[in-house]
Amino acid sequence: MHISEGVLSPAVLGGGAALTVVGTAIGLKKLDYEAIPRVAILSAAFFVATLIHVPVGPVGLHLVLNGLMGLLLGWLAVPAILIALFLQALLFQFGGLTVLGVNTVTMAAPAVICFYVFRPFLCRGGMPGMVAAFACGATAIILSGVLVAAALLFTGQGFLQVAELVLMAHIPVMIIEGIITLFVFLFLQKVRPEMLEGIYA
Amino acid sequence: MPEKRFHQKILKIVGIQGLLLLGLGVLSTPALAHRVLVFAYAEGDTIFTESKFIPNDPVRQGKVEVQDAKTGQILLTGTTNDQGKFSFKIPPQAAAAKMDLKIITEAAMGHRGEWLLKAANYLPGAQAAGTPAPGPAATPAPSAVAAPAAAPAATAGTVNQQALEAALNKVLERQLAPINEKLTELTIHRTTLPDILGGIGYILGLCGVAAYFLSKRPKNT
Repeated sequence: MHISEGVLSPAVLGGGAALTVVGTAIGLKKLDYEAIPRVAILSAAFFVATLIHVPVGPVGLHLVLNGLMGLLLGWLAVPAILIALFLQALLFQFGGLTVLGVNTVTMAAPAVICFYVFRPFLCRGGMPGMVAAFACGATAIILSGVLVAAALLFTGQGFLQVAELVLMAHIPVMIIEGIITLFVFLFLQKVRPEMLEGIYA
Repeated sequence: MPEKRFHQKILKIVGIQGLLLLGLGVLSTPALAHRVLVFAYAEGDTIFTESKFIPNDPVRQGKVEVQDAKTGQILLTGTTNDQGKFSFKIPPQAAAAKMDLKIITEAAMGHRGEWLLKAANYLPGAQAAGTPAPGPAATPAPSAVAAPAAAPAATAGTVNQQALEAALNKVLERQLAPINEKLTELTIHRTTLPDILGGIGYILGLCGVAAYFLSKRPKNT
């Protein structure tokens, strides 16, 4: 999911950076005292999960957990993902500083979108809640794939071709993420419902 | 009072989840996402490139582009094979102008890596191949054969200096290729556990900074 440096055109980079600034501003505005630990934990989880490399498919894959972050954080997912990506760019040269904006958008935008789309169902709990939690995890990955393809669209690579490749490669990740999101949701509902306050707020 | 309880709650949450994360980090072997690594070396008049996703997955059917590092002029392009390898003859204009070559591999989904091959690192090979040296015949010949062949030539004093140099270059290249490769491997910054833990440390530190500034803010409840 990390787009490397030097691939994208300046216009796309600038657009991504601008969107990230706006998203981060909204996220920070919503950040309150009680949310800080949640943001930090999920930022760290994202930081680690995107490093773990599972050798499936043509290119090894890693988890993204952006559906889960959206579910738990809403808009706060934007600063959380931004920080994790910034550190990855700095420490491991994953992605890069110039593509930081675009990479943040491709992973954080689906988180926010899924938060708003699935929140009503998650609130209901029970079966609809479970289905929504799974769908939240899986959909976020699809959307990320589509956004990556869209970002690469302007580099001359065919949109459908790239999108197909990204989506095909991420089918296993979608399923795994859906299951992880579902289990974390159920677990937190039972053990630490206050972690889910973002949904009910 | 509730303030204090709240602090404890935060500490508890951070503690539990932190431990969980730590466990996750430790269990996962020095884990890596996909960064593309390209490296290139010259042997004779050919430059060999190898592209892989770190740690060890070849980039199959990746697009390789060879540029003049100074001007960015594209000298040639190619595609990697299933082992992530691609080789090409040193372009004459590059050898003539002593260009530093920038070799870029683009894999699918926006992954990209590059490698700078300095002129000094491939030109001796090119010159050696340019001389009327044994050339292609010596491809699989082990160094043991080439070395004695060169030695009597030198003592005889009849063979010119150039031929000797060419032979030596060939042998040295062959001998040094694995070392070059090893060096390349060593210069890669690999993701290690301390890096990951350091990153998590930063995030927790930022959490602390944010908590500090928010705690300074007057409560509006």
